[in-house]
Amino acid sequence: MSEGFEPRIVGFFCKWCTYAGADLAGTSRLQYPPNVLPIRVMCSSRVDPVFLLTAYLRGADAVLIGGCHPGDCHYIEGNYYTRRRVALLKNIFETLKLDTERLRLSWISASEGPRFAKVITEYTENTKKIGPNPAKNKIFI
Amino acid sequence: MSDKIGVYVCECGPNIGEAIDIDKVIEAISPIEDVAVVRRHKLLCSGDGQNFLVDEIKNEGLTHVVLGACSPKDHEITFMNVATRAGINPYLIQVVNIREQCAWIFKDKDIATKKAIKYIRAGIERIKYHKPLQKKELDANPDVLVLGGGLAGIEAALALTQTDRKVYLVEKSADLGGSVMKFEKLLSHQGFNLGLIKEKVDKINSNENIEVLTSTNVESVIGFFGNFEVTTKPAGEEAGGKSFIVGAVVVASGYNWFDLESTPRYGYKKIEDVFTINDFGRMIEESEKLKLSTGKEPKSIALVHCGGRKELGYCSRVCCMQMMNIGNYIKDKYPGIEVHELHSDLCVSSKNDQKYYEKSKEKGINFIRMKGVEVGGKAGAISIEYTTLAGDKGKLAVDMAVVAPGMIPEAGTPQVADMLNVPLHPTGFFKEGHEKLNPVGTTMDGIYVVGCAQGPKSFMETLIQAQAATGKIFSHLIPGKKIEPEVKVSEIIEAFCTGCQTCLDVCFYGAITYDEDKGVSVVNEAICRGCGNCAGSCPSDAIRPKHFTTTQLYQEVVEALRE
Repeated sequence: MSEGFEPRIVGFFCKWCTYAGADLAGTSRLQYPPNVLPIRVMCSSRVDPVFLLTAYLRGADAVLIGGCHPGDCHYIEGNYYTRRRVALLKNIFETLKLDTERLRLSWISASEGPRFAKVITEYTENTKKIGPNPAKNKIFI
Repeated sequence: MSDKIGVYVCECGPNIGEAIDIDKVIEAISPIEDVAVVRRHKLLCSGDGQNFLVDEIKNEGLTHVVLGACSPKDHEITFMNVATRAGINPYLIQVVNIREQCAWIFKDKDIATKKAIKYIRAGIERIKYHKPLQKKELDANPDVLVLGGGLAGIEAALALTQTDRKVYLVEKSADLGGSVMKFEKLLSHQGFNLGLIKEKVDKINSNENIEVLTSTNVESVIGFFGNFEVTTKPAGEEAGGKSFIVGAVVVASGYNWFDLESTPRYGYKKIEDVFTINDFGRMIEESEKLKLSTGKEPKSIALVHCGGRKELGYCSRVCCMQMMNIGNYIKDKYPGIEVHELHSDLCVSSKNDQKYYEKSKEKGINFIRMKGVEVGGKAGAISIEYTTLAGDKGKLAVDMAVVAPGMIPEAGTPQVADMLNVPLHPTGFFKEGHEKLNPVGTTMDGIYVVGCAQGPKSFMETLIQAQAATGKIFSHLIPGKKIEPEVKVSEIIEAFCTGCQTCLDVCFYGAITYDEDKGVSVVNEAICRGCGNCAGSCPSDAIRPKHFTTTQLYQEVVEALRE
């Protein structure tokens, strides 16, 4: 682990589930690391994989997408599309020899404040362990 | 005119005020380009706070406002209204959540302050790319089309009547009432008085706000919530169709029965005196006598549950009670006849059913739990071979068998779904908007599915659904009121669109069509819900979900990554 390394994680959270789950974590005064900057989207399916790739190549140590649990999407099936896109992007990451551990999709519902805090904590810890993003400033798109 | 951004940090009493060093935030934010003022307030959502904001926007001549406050879930609408009051577009407001996702989660004031600065910076950079969006209002027709005149359709049509609202009740057969009307005797034995349904049909026929179109098919339904254009055609005729406009559609197209002939397991139509529930119902409706093909009265009857359940892959839920009712009917009228009920899982789920089951046992009905059954033999000596849960084989000799076929979608369901642009469930029934959260809606605003069209249902559940859809229509489609479609919809940048039509496939709402002449996709803003899935799938970046554009989100990413 790098000394004093504080990863910067970009989080895309759907408005209906994960963002609301994050709000609940706050209302419940749960503590979790401050390494994620939350970006609110209407649905996780709005997240073009290019956003994730761009964030990563611009130096994000990790990216996280939060959506509704399968079957619970506010827009019926948006999260299934997200799941496929992330799976595809992981493939691309592998092909480019990038670290797939820096890419994560989590289902967190509006009632899962503790789960939100847990996911953020674990993901931050793990990112700390694997160290800073090596691709930073090396590749541009 | 250049942007003049006002940034206001809410103390939210001690909630933010004590957790974040607001003075430091103000110091860090003030030098950012285009930021004209940065101020703090004790409680921006209060009446006093709102007036303060209105005055600030007016006096400072602000073009955009960023609020460091609570979750947008709490007060985004409050602050959008403040913007409107102050004369700026409500979409030129950005609420940055520095309470739930900052002040409340970091004990360390330093960390919380740094994060708050980062969040607010992201909000400022984002808002520079905000565009004013205009709320739209569309005229809405309050009339309703009810498709199907069975139990569900009758209930919905009658419940929907109200002055200023016309209801078109379209039924493909010649009579209203649906499948329940055929089995008066059987149902009345169950305590279900069909007279009440007949009364409702009479009420419908004499209600001037309901136009009943029997022996009629719906040919097409085109449009969106508040404005569907409907054309109908009399069954079997070319001319004489009607066309009219409605604001909402209630689909109550009913169900059908699994075809027992499609499997040899039940001996149906091969062995005489093997009946379906329907055959049995018809028999007692005609003569009220139980007769075998020989003309004699049967001595023993097997009631075989779960006809076709294996093939269908789902439980029809209501046949257990129907079969138990038949068993009771037989036992009450002909106490001498032996009755065996062969069931798998017994579906006795309502609060009265368990009692009914216990009473049935007391009457001497022999319940046998089985996991497989086969009806064989011949008339006069029908043999029922079954396997118990433990795997033991059993055999019964009876002279009559009644099999309960499962419920399946009505034959024309795929065509109706196609016409209405709503999806079907893998079972072939209509798919509800959301299994848990929107049980009578569909993916299309203004189209509701009720009763067995949506899956096997009891009478009670059917009526509940019809009433629920009525309630939805009453609260969403009010005569004389306009409707407001979603403002944050997707738009196509025609110059970028290559016409690949990927977006058409991913849109669950059918909001996108393809313009053949221009070779580009077109969004129907009245249907679009603004999820942005199309933008996530567009390979040419030609779709811009308003208020969640790539540029706006990208600004947030950049701020997140700022050193």
